Amino acid sequence: MTVLNDIRDYPWTSLLAGILPAPLTARLPRRFQATTAQIVPSASIAGNALTVVIAIMTFLACLTAGGVYMVNQSANAWVDDIASEITIELDPIDTANIEKKMTLVSLFLAKQKGVTRVRPLTAADSAKLLEPWLGSTAALSALPVPRLIAVEIDRSSPPDIDLIKSALSRNFEGVTVDDHRRWQAEIRLITRSTALGGLAVLGLVAAATIAVIVSATRGAMASNREIIEVLHFVGANERFISSEFSRHFLGLGVRAGLFGAFAAVIAFLLLPFLMHLLGGGAVTEAEARRLLGSGELDFGGYLLLLLVVIVVAALCMVTSRFGVIRVLRTYD
Amino acid sequence: MIRFDNVGLRYGSGPEILRDVTFHVLPGSFHFLTGPSGAGKTSLLRLLFMSLRPTRGLIFVFGENIADLPSAGRAALRRRIGIVFQDFRLLEHLTTWENVALPLRVMGKKESDYADDVTDLLHWVGLGDRIHAYPETLSGGEKQRAAIARAVIGRPELLLADEPTGNVDPAIGNRLLRLFVELNRLGTSVIIATHDYALMEQLEAPRLMLREGQLQASGS
Repeated sequence: MTVLNDIRDYPWTSLLAGILPAPLTARLPRRFQATTAQIVPSASIAGNALTVVIAIMTFLACLTAGGVYMVNQSANAWVDDIASEITIELDPIDTANIEKKMTLVSLFLAKQKGVTRVRPLTAADSAKLLEPWLGSTAALSALPVPRLIAVEIDRSSPPDIDLIKSALSRNFEGVTVDDHRRWQAEIRLITRSTALGGLAVLGLVAAATIAVIVSATRGAMASNREIIEVLHFVGANERFISSEFSRHFLGLGVRAGLFGAFAAVIAFLLLPFLMHLLGGGAVTEAEARRLLGSGELDFGGYLLLLLVVIVVAALCMVTSRFGVIRVLRTYD
Repeated sequence: MIRFDNVGLRYGSGPEILRDVTFHVLPGSFHFLTGPSGAGKTSLLRLLFMSLRPTRGLIFVFGENIADLPSAGRAALRRRIGIVFQDFRLLEHLTTWENVALPLRVMGKKESDYADDVTDLLHWVGLGDRIHAYPETLSGGEKQRAAIARAVIGRPELLLADEPTGNVDPAIGNRLLRLFVELNRLGTSVIIATHDYALMEQLEAPRLMLREGQLQASGS
């Protein structure tokens, strides 16, 4: 009940005044406007420069978090795709009738337990797969391009891949099975590396934000020393004084965080176009699409950006609160 | 209520500002704290108000040894004490009403519960028509009365005043003294630090005399 009372008694209108610009606050209905003046004036806490710095930090954090989220989503989709498929590769060298061999191998695979679909790729399909790297050229038909058979497997009761491998090598020459395990491992490695890199960037952004807020808190306390002393003399405890300051920093964090996240949302909305504009050719664009998917954030991604704003605002509030308490202890 | 036992105070490695100060303030008493400039009156008031710690000796405030109290405990004791500063210490960005209401706000009281009390007190100290004025527009006497109103709004058990008549003319000084006497009659212990002998002669009250950091005469 104490927590509920604390929530009910929290000066929400003062917080709102800290988040919204003054002209906008003045237009709000009366019940959303603070009835009593703020003990610590907003103007004495921090200027626009701090808001801009926190907004930039949030923007960078949102870009990083959103980017890592996209890579993860894209990698998961990839892993899902390749985990439910194996590829059979037929070497065309020393094979008199490759089409006949394709048919025989396909028929053999279709009979195996746990195989749901066998899809032999035509020579044109194989050439198309190489198109981003080799271009569309007639010379491809002269090259000994391996022929592929895509085999979809039942993930609930998968076939024994090793058994299929040994049966194929016994019955057919020049046939190899790629179960994509190496790719899965590499994708997972890339995903983890990206996530770790993202976490490192987020850690740096958080550290920079904390440093800026600590410095701003000290500055705010120095410029409001007289107010703090008066509060001290009228019996205000650390909790009261620190909440007066941290409320301002929470408002600043929310305002700057929303600005930063909004800029990041714009950047993500523009990303598909940017990928196309900055593409650098079909290969780069294709690789970027493989890494980032469509380049659009889904609902979960936008929720993640909201989470970043909440974390930045909370960081501002908590850091300033501890900063104020630390300075107050030097007064006592 | 307040007990000082052999209290000494020095700032840093400087000389002792206060030496072997021992006295006792009883509930409902009225004291003048006097002495020449630089004798240590303000330092003694700051010790009473727990904004300084003694370098030696013991101080008991409302029966609590302040050396044993955490920060929150000292803040709770300060709420039972009202203080009037020589330089008023009103917050310039708050109106007279908001300045006076500050101790109640700090106590976590709801504005609707204390709004009438603050307005009534401001009328009582003669600032009824200055409720919405900001400190920079108040005269010295008005600021002093606002500072006194802020000190007493929380019905403190002890009122400390540092040179409360130092910035006002004799007529207002007398009026303020009557105000302190009235508060004392209502049960608040009062300690007024002053070197205004004319003021002290108007009232029969024990005097705590500080000279060169030592309490030379006392009565309780």
